Amino acid sequence: MQAELLKWTRTFAITWSSQFAYRADFIMQVIGPALVFFLVKYNLWSSLFHLSGISQIQGYGQTQMLAYQAWVFLVTLLAQGYNNMNLSEDIRLGKISTHLIYPFSFWKFQTARFLSFQCIQILVAALTLGILVAFDLVEIPNWDHLAMGLAICMSVGVLWFVIAYVLGLAAFWLEETWVLRVMFVLICNFFSGAVFPLEIFPAWLRGILVYSPFPYLTSVPVQYLMGNLHQSVGSVFLAIGFWTLVAWAVAYLVWKNGMRNYAAAGM
Amino acid sequence: MISCELVTKNFRIYKKPGGFAQSIRSLWSREFHDTHAVRDFDLQVKKGEIVGLLGPNGAGKTTLMKMFTGIIVPTSGQLRVMGYEPAQRGIPFRKKIALVMGQKSQLWWDIPAIDSFLLLKAYYEIPSSDFRMRLNQLASVLQVEHLMDVHVRKLSLGERMKMELIASLLHRPEIIFLDEPTIGLDVISQKNIREFLISYQKQHGTTIILTSHYMADVEALCGRIVLILEGRKRFDGPIVDFGALLGREKFVSLVFSSSLDRQPAEWESYDPQWNLERTKVELRIPEKNMGAVIAEILTKFPVVDFYTEKLPIERVLETLLAKPQLISTMAQN
Amino acid sequence: MGTIKKYLSVYREFLGNSLAEATTYRLNFFLVMVMDLIFYATSLGSIDFLFQYVTKIGNWDRDHFLFFISFMLAVDHLHMTFISENFWSFSGDIRTGKLDFVLLKPISGLFICFFRLMRPGTVLNGVVPWTLLIAFGSRLGFGFWSWVSLLPMVLLALALMVSIEILITLFGFWTISSYGLNFLRLQFQQLARYPDFIYRYYFRKFFTIFVPVLAIGSGPVQFLFEQGLPGLTLWAGGALILISALIRITWRKGLAAYESASS
Repeated sequence: MQAELLKWTRTFAITWSSQFAYRADFIMQVIGPALVFFLVKYNLWSSLFHLSGISQIQGYGQTQMLAYQAWVFLVTLLAQGYNNMNLSEDIRLGKISTHLIYPFSFWKFQTARFLSFQCIQILVAALTLGILVAFDLVEIPNWDHLAMGLAICMSVGVLWFVIAYVLGLAAFWLEETWVLRVMFVLICNFFSGAVFPLEIFPAWLRGILVYSPFPYLTSVPVQYLMGNLHQSVGSVFLAIGFWTLVAWAVAYLVWKNGMRNYAAAGM
Repeated sequence: MISCELVTKNFRIYKKPGGFAQSIRSLWSREFHDTHAVRDFDLQVKKGEIVGLLGPNGAGKTTLMKMFTGIIVPTSGQLRVMGYEPAQRGIPFRKKIALVMGQKSQLWWDIPAIDSFLLLKAYYEIPSSDFRMRLNQLASVLQVEHLMDVHVRKLSLGERMKMELIASLLHRPEIIFLDEPTIGLDVISQKNIREFLISYQKQHGTTIILTSHYMADVEALCGRIVLILEGRKRFDGPIVDFGALLGREKFVSLVFSSSLDRQPAEWESYDPQWNLERTKVELRIPEKNMGAVIAEILTKFPVVDFYTEKLPIERVLETLLAKPQLISTMAQN
Repeated sequence: MGTIKKYLSVYREFLGNSLAEATTYRLNFFLVMVMDLIFYATSLGSIDFLFQYVTKIGNWDRDHFLFFISFMLAVDHLHMTFISENFWSFSGDIRTGKLDFVLLKPISGLFICFFRLMRPGTVLNGVVPWTLLIAFGSRLGFGFWSWVSLLPMVLLALALMVSIEILITLFGFWTISSYGLNFLRLQFQQLARYPDFIYRYYFRKFFTIFVPVLAIGSGPVQFLFEQGLPGLTLWAGGALILISALIRITWRKGLAAYESASS
């Protein structure tokens, strides 16, 4: 038991230190997205209202739109940060073989890395929230609400992790998996409401999206944190849980088939 | 060909102790250290020479090679290769050199080798007729004609190494730097590559600088040896002198059919090393009386086998790496 | 003349090798195409959705905006097909020491580093942005000179974008890991995807003059919209020359600092 725990903490620690190994990168990773948010998104939306001479789009005035964008930023940090770049590289270069002989399963290894990464992200998000509040961009809801929001984000994070895992596993068949990942991020950004609120989408498209996992990745957590969600928290968790299970099942099948391939290739 | 005076190369590294807290601390405070990869190095190489650079891992051999080829810039010192300053990386200079690294590949991984060769043809502006002739020649000597259209990643290590050699020789370099060209190869492939290099060098008179951890490579190829320890030159001279560095003595192992209880008194001076069962002994015999001594032993004792152990340079190198202080004492003699 | 011929023949080999490589992995070849198409669809879609609720942004209406987006997609298409792969491989070249071989070759190292890899699969995708450019150009009533200068202007924008990105990427000599630099590069691409007047005054000035990413699209497109030669278009050309000079200096300094990964 204790030995098992040690395996987890060491994996956790090594991910943690590799995050800090390249100083400039780490700072960029933390400050970069925040700067982009302030300089670009803020800029873009505030001048859009100004230049077009309208006061609101689908119920979003300038203040609400900026708040929406700020929450999107926070949710993305917490729920969609993990990209698991290393997984496909490990598979492609045959490094996975070393994990296969370790007495610590590959899946556990990946999970420990993910947890380590999430911890850093929570710190970064907390810091960012502080700054956003200081600039009067968002209002902190009461603490219970915030804690529940964090819980929703974390569960979305798990869903995202499983999806990233599936995409990374595609390396068993594909030379480069970043194509798949970029494709997914593009689609997800657009359909999850990260670009702008889903209310701006045509009605027919919104009708379809309700049956997909996309709104749960960004739009739903954001609406919850802004206090605009017309859906019970229970049903949100239920839906996220459902989609996580689906992704998990896919991951399981992909891993099984991939391993068969991998072993057959004798890499 | 090469003239190198007081060349030094320093690298800056930073150290980070293990652990969480130290990781975070390393964000703002870092301890930098200068390491001397090469120190005050002097070397003169004449045209057509084959020089072997010897030394343990991290001694600075590869760093030296990279400075000779202009890949990295010396921190200080004077360096000329064929009259050019490598760090300037002039086009005429680059056309006359080649570097083969056993651990790195210059071939495009996902396509057949022939495509990489065609690219090199364009790089070095090799006329089509020359290109075809050289390629055919090299491919037939190295016996890889049938592999030209095979994807590089599908080649065995030995085959790939042959392709790397072809890639480096197509433009007829005047000087070739070989950094562990036989690393990881099986005995037969090693031998093939060595024999190829010897005949190629004979034919073209190319200057070759070689590093290798296989003494057989060095023994077969190099007329001259340069020993590097911790970035400094510790020996530079003909290979025969290197082999004799620890004295002109031969190590002879003798195996007997039954254990020998008694040791002849005259063996005392040969520093005998017995095995536990006393069926095998190793003697260090001066070269000049070896014939007589062995003949005598063969007649007097039940010898079933005897052999002189290892290549002399391997023995010398092993001893020197274990006790580097031996060199300084020798220098005084 | 001889030099140009040499570089052209080398480039032909690059093209051939990339094609050979790309066709080896057919699935990837196909996926990259699809990825680009998704990107086009989402970029155009978001602007189109937005214009359901607004009629004008500044002086531009929907057609102006969609023309601009298509223009940037055309630039992006050429960038993706002929250049972008190289930016990703550069840091790998440094970290693995693959750059060693590049430096040995008797040809400009910059040329090998940034023009070696291509994605021939996406050439066909060009149909989309160019069809859109022609469609929106006609709706905007383009004159003769606008049509003639359309391709040169796309190339000017591409050249400026590529030179800015090369300059950024070269800092990999010092940072070694490329995460931050690639992040920066992608964010600049993002900035350039919208016309400059969208951004507020100081921000706009900074990213036009000091880091001329807003000149990439807005400079050339202004030339196509207005007749005559707007200052911003001139600046796009001037910035290109200036950055090219900076690239040469940075490359030289970078090589002096290059330590070559130990084998």
